Amino acid sequence: MMKKAIIFNIQRYSIHDGGGIRTLIFFKGCPLRCPWCSNPESQSFKPEIIRRESLCIKCSSSSCFACTNTPEQCPTGAIEKVGKEMDVNEVLKEIKKDIIFYDSTGGGVTLSGGEPLSQGEFAIELLEKLKNLGIDTAIETTGFSKWEILDKMSNHLDRILFDLKIMNKEKSIKIINADIDLIKDNFKKLVKKRINIIPRIPLIPKYTMDDENIEAIINFILSQGIKEVHILPYHQYGISKYKSLGKKYILKSLIPPSSEDVERIKEKMTDAGLYVVVGGK
Amino acid sequence: MCTVSERIKNLKELLFKNKREISLERARLYTESYKNTEGQPAILRRAKATAHILNNVQIVINDGELIAGGRTVKPRSGIASPEMSPYWIYDELDTLATRPQDQFYISEEDKEFFRNELFPFWKDKSLKDLVNSRLPNNVKNAQKQRIIKLNQTDKGQGHIIPSFDKVLNKGLGYMIDEVKEKMKKNPNNNFYKAALITLEATQNHIERYGKLARDMALNEKNQNRKKELLEISRISYKISKYKPDTFYEALQLFWYINIALQYESNASSISPGRFDQYMYPFYKKDIENGLDIEFAKELLRCLWLKMNDVVLLRSQESAKYFAGFPTGYTIILGGLDRNGRDAVNELSYLILDTYGDIKLPQPNLGVRINEKTPREFLIKTIETIRLGTGIPQVFNDEVIIPAYLNRGVSLEDARDYAVVGCVELSIPGKTYGLHDIALFNLLKVMEVTLKESNGNFNSYNELINAIKKNINKYVKDMIEGSNVVDQAHREFAPTPLLSCFVENALKTGMDITSGGAKYNFSGVQGIGVANLSDSLYIIKKAVFEDKEITLPELVKILNNNYKDNEIIRQKFINKYPKYGNDIDDVDYCGSEILSHYCKEVEKYKNIRGGFFQPGSYTVSAHIPLGEAVGATPDGRLSGEQLADGGLSPMVGMDKNGPTAVLKSVSKIDTYLISNGSLLNVKFNPSVLEGIEGIRKFIGFLQSFMRLKLQHIQFNIVSAETLRDAQKHPEKYKNLVVRVAGYSAIFIELNKSIQDDIINRTEHIL
Repeated sequence: MMKKAIIFNIQRYSIHDGGGIRTLIFFKGCPLRCPWCSNPESQSFKPEIIRRESLCIKCSSSSCFACTNTPEQCPTGAIEKVGKEMDVNEVLKEIKKDIIFYDSTGGGVTLSGGEPLSQGEFAIELLEKLKNLGIDTAIETTGFSKWEILDKMSNHLDRILFDLKIMNKEKSIKIINADIDLIKDNFKKLVKKRINIIPRIPLIPKYTMDDENIEAIINFILSQGIKEVHILPYHQYGISKYKSLGKKYILKSLIPPSSEDVERIKEKMTDAGLYVVVGGK
Repeated sequence: MCTVSERIKNLKELLFKNKREISLERARLYTESYKNTEGQPAILRRAKATAHILNNVQIVINDGELIAGGRTVKPRSGIASPEMSPYWIYDELDTLATRPQDQFYISEEDKEFFRNELFPFWKDKSLKDLVNSRLPNNVKNAQKQRIIKLNQTDKGQGHIIPSFDKVLNKGLGYMIDEVKEKMKKNPNNNFYKAALITLEATQNHIERYGKLARDMALNEKNQNRKKELLEISRISYKISKYKPDTFYEALQLFWYINIALQYESNASSISPGRFDQYMYPFYKKDIENGLDIEFAKELLRCLWLKMNDVVLLRSQESAKYFAGFPTGYTIILGGLDRNGRDAVNELSYLILDTYGDIKLPQPNLGVRINEKTPREFLIKTIETIRLGTGIPQVFNDEVIIPAYLNRGVSLEDARDYAVVGCVELSIPGKTYGLHDIALFNLLKVMEVTLKESNGNFNSYNELINAIKKNINKYVKDMIEGSNVVDQAHREFAPTPLLSCFVENALKTGMDITSGGAKYNFSGVQGIGVANLSDSLYIIKKAVFEDKEITLPELVKILNNNYKDNEIIRQKFINKYPKYGNDIDDVDYCGSEILSHYCKEVEKYKNIRGGFFQPGSYTVSAHIPLGEAVGATPDGRLSGEQLADGGLSPMVGMDKNGPTAVLKSVSKIDTYLISNGSLLNVKFNPSVLEGIEGIRKFIGFLQSFMRLKLQHIQFNIVSAETLRDAQKHPEKYKNLVVRVAGYSAIFIELNKSIQDDIINRTEHIL
């Protein structure tokens, strides 16, 4: 039986996530619960319904949110099911469509999510097939999984974009539901395996930007001999997605960091000897 | 960025200072001559009329100009050719100044002159009358049903690339001697007589500029300008007889020839072709002799401004198809040379550079790319595209050269191809291609086929076969009509001067309208592949596979323009995949029909001994062609536009990004559409930002090349578009914008972020 995974989007022509023109595979479901998450539709492992008022033509109801139509019945796609079970070959078929563009731009495939590690067996099989086709592979991950899965997966990865969020053990568990010791442990093991790994730090005011946390991150990265880091400033562009999922966005009043704040942290990291990329191209 | 000189600034201002006017001078002189040549052969009458214009038309050299030669005294004036059709101008005299597209001012005095003198003379005697009297009823019906549209029934033939190569390397005097030599052996050949009349008049026209410049110099107080005028005078006298030796002289002769040809035909798109190739030897020699490169650039800028001075007056209907009076000074850069080597030279770069200083609609630059194109030149091309004017467009040698081989063109000539008008492919200086003789509305044929039988087909294949049969029928009508127009031009409007600049005409003693050119094509465009794909796929899937609706029911809904069936229409739009998203089942629906059309067209010969060849581009004709088609199964309402360009997906239907668009287009057999095709792709400016953006764009263009697409041009999305997207989100479902560390669908962002992005976009542009 072919392994299946639940995928919520396959985005072709992604040019800002890793080198070249890439296809992004978004796995649905994540064990973490970061309050600032900009992809709320990626959290649950089950398909969900989203409602987009802007596309609704009010054919059956005065509001998209009150409508009883199923996604199949909705004529405009305003009501849409997010998340689809796909087997490896189905995903592969979509990926292969852009091989010519990967080849000419140094692009490839990036697994994203959600958390691809949570559907590890599928991801490993997919990555293995991609490497057999000579396609460049990368993953965006929280690093939060059993080592065995990450270990196997890393054998087929050219690059790992590895999130480091909250370094304090208690806070990490409390706020984002992740055991930072496990994550750090996985990080170290990957480094030891000489896997190409790029730490990515979300800059979230009140959560990750305090001096203590930033210093802990810098120290950890340096201790692992890593030289490059990507920082991703907080934004609120995911708010509308919360609304369309009928979810509440608890950080509504959180103000995104000013460019001075971002610059300050960039400087701090640069002074410590790191090469810093803002935005993570 | 270079700072533009005062000279260029002033000349550019001069172009746009006054409103566009119509000058009837050419029409008056032409008609004067015709009154005196009653009873003579058409080709001599034409030649004498052209000569009369060249000898008498008022000429001017504007202050600061380094390149002399203008079609009208006032900048950007339209000129009329009532001999082609006096009717539409007559009908539109009072609305020309206020019509929705391409307004021109015309004085009351000129209106009276047109009504009382020109119109009565040409009424019943024009090209239009000749064509109309000969078109058989079946062709007229096909026109009336708006399945086909014949062009050039009321205007001169353009869409040609003269052999500038020859006149620049031999000189006008040489060409005149050549004609005289021929006349000795063929004393009764009227073409040679006509050629001599027009060439000598061209010579005289250039000498008139020589005299004017000298006279002006005598009265000029400014010593610098005096020197410049004397130089213009010297050059003009010289090149009226002898071949040019310097870059400056070559540019000036090039431009005088262009102007003379404009007087003969008043036609769209007498295009320069491979300007960087035939001008390079002059440039190179001058630079080696110490010419200041800045002066060379200034000359080029002056020439580019000249190209914007010539605008084409079209009828209101024609302006709908070709909005914005494109005149088609289409220059193609780079590519391969005749021996298959990379042809990019320093001048290719300089042309892109100086275009960037001007940024006007002309010259319409294009770049030929292939596997050998230097990386630096690709980068220069991308940097120019990044300016956001949609120039240059990009053409693909890797498919166009083989496509021409398939049309019987020699390997060397195929490698030498250039572009005429918008995207029409042509072998420069050797082709009379009638590239735009007709349009064929494939979508309309589908509609007609569905309605003829009220949708009573038992299978998808039965329907497809019926559509193909109808295509064959209407293609035949189109061919018949095109040949009538072709023949009418031969009899009524030969072009002896133009023919002198087309290989083989002087050798054979035949005007190009009589088959004197080396290559003789007739180009006919099959339109509607995107809407066909989308519509046929819905019929295939919803009707014959899923049986959600019967075909007769669907036809009924279409006949009622989806009235009371908005939900079904929305489903058709949103629930079925569309062309442009790289889905084989959909893409092949339309490409199968287009291929059939191509194969049918290429069976036919034209009256000049050449073949018909298909193309697929609309320019702006997707709007009026859409007006002709009722509601279609893709959810398009009656009269709504078709997909733009020719091969582009329907507006807003390409949701998987530009790589998927290229892949969808690549499923069309692009080798067959050898007359040309057009693909528009829109990009947000951020995509091209920085060195990383350029790197990815190089790869994108290389993929375009390897996928064997012929043509691509880029729209860089402006803030204006984004504002419209805020107002009409339903039209912009696929607009992806760069927000921060990620990209998002524009309409899914909230207003404040949208505003933020709009402001940033303006910064970038």
